[in-house]
Amino acid sequence: MEENLASTSSSQPLSPPPSFESTKLKHQNPSTESSISSPLPPSVTRLWRPAAQRNLRNQWSKMASYRQQWKSFSSSARSHATSIVNSYLSQRQFPLKTTSLFPRMYMNAMELGVLSDMPDIRKKACRKLFKQQKLHRSKLLSSYKDMVDVVMHMVKTGRSMRTFLKGSSSPLVQFSSISEDKNDHGDGGGIPVYAFWSIYYFEELAQELVQMFTLELNLKRLLVVELLSISSEEVPVNGVCWLDELYRGEFNDLCICGLYSTEVCEPVRPKIKDWKSDTSSEQSNRQPEHDILQVYLTTWLAEANIDTYRMDEIFAVVGEEMHVNLS
Amino acid sequence: MEGMVKKYQQKFRRVKDEMNRWDELQSRLLSQFRNASSIIERLQVIRNPQNYGALKFVGGIEDMILRKQMESLETILLSMNKTLEEFHGVVTFLEKSLRDGRQLVKGGSIQATPKQLQQRIGIKPSLADCLDGLRLLHEMHQSEYLLKSSIVSALSGLALKPSRSDLGALQQLLVDQPNIPKEEVQFIFDIVFAEEIC
Repeated sequence: MEENLASTSSSQPLSPPPSFESTKLKHQNPSTESSISSPLPPSVTRLWRPAAQRNLRNQWSKMASYRQQWKSFSSSARSHATSIVNSYLSQRQFPLKTTSLFPRMYMNAMELGVLSDMPDIRKKACRKLFKQQKLHRSKLLSSYKDMVDVVMHMVKTGRSMRTFLKGSSSPLVQFSSISEDKNDHGDGGGIPVYAFWSIYYFEELAQELVQMFTLELNLKRLLVVELLSISSEEVPVNGVCWLDELYRGEFNDLCICGLYSTEVCEPVRPKIKDWKSDTSSEQSNRQPEHDILQVYLTTWLAEANIDTYRMDEIFAVVGEEMHVNLS
Repeated sequence: MEGMVKKYQQKFRRVKDEMNRWDELQSRLLSQFRNASSIIERLQVIRNPQNYGALKFVGGIEDMILRKQMESLETILLSMNKTLEEFHGVVTFLEKSLRDGRQLVKGGSIQATPKQLQQRIGIKPSLADCLDGLRLLHEMHQSEYLLKSSIVSALSGLALKPSRSDLGALQQLLVDQPNIPKEEVQFIFDIVFAEEIC
């Protein structure tokens, strides 16, 4: 505690550097002003800062680790998606090997050679493909669920940036992440937590990150729906549609991520940041063409809503402000 | 004379190390090339709005996907150029080895006569063999480096005007390394290290 006190008194609130002023701080206004006019007693503020610093450091390290988790889940989901697509295309015509310049052989047009004498060889092969397909589908779905989990955690973390005073009646000053007094904004009166930024700016940056991932999750949900609905004559499957719950409790999870509209009782339509999407729902094509599947897989890979540069920048500047390495 | 041959053999050992490095770089460059060419192949598909299926109603998706893919392509091309620089490092090393090798017979304390250059003791290589070997290895890698550089710039050109067959041809050329015939390289080393083979 004493150490913390010492470090606190040494870093007085400073005015933000010039570059900082150009960044908009629209969130800051309403609550900051009110809390600045009613600041916490100095003794409490002194104790609040180290607690808030600790909390921010924890939350942002979590954020950084969720980012890595997302990456790994997204990439395994992509490999399951590729398997689904390849398996489907090998029943039909041209398998898609994203890394290969040369297409492989395929089922229906395949020359079976001496194998054609074996009874039901084609049927057996298709049954096997069906089993594989089923496996890939369940794996894709479970990776998708993992991704939803990660985003939920991110959302939660993004909302846990503040540090509130706990039990004002107790003589011992304690802090918690839950607000107990509605006059306590958990912002320490809007003072800089480390050198320059108030809680609100940390929140704003976290929000920006979380938005990237929620939008991307939503876009990927569309791809999951499409990929799970692929069906061929040889291997028919019961597809899903956008309005279906993909796993038990999915809508609850989506609700937490702000991706489920309780007004119309359906998942929010996917979109690209700063763009509008058509609300007309497209009837999925159960037997998409090769090129369309290629676009789906490319879209999965491209992470259209995640601005990697900006994300790296956010982690870098936040890390710098907190003197931690978040990459 | 024998001491000189030993010195050359030492040089060849270091050259061998650098050539192993070359092989590593080669497989790195190949995988970078494959990544780049799969993006280039995809470009036409993703430029066509007809191919977006259920994604069609997501506003801005085509622009964004295209932009993202171009960004990835750019990153890959950049790292290919870095790999090229490292290839060039190997070529520079070979050049230096050759220069030092020439220095050994010309500028050293003892100047080798034409006769001495050709002289062979047992199965040991002659000094001329060693010098030729160094010169050949340098030439091969130098030309191959130039070829690789032009393949990489051709690849960036193809990004604007993709052609599947051109990509295939370029990749084949990259794999083949026509300027570095394996048998010939082996032959050079066999002569220099003949005694170790027996």
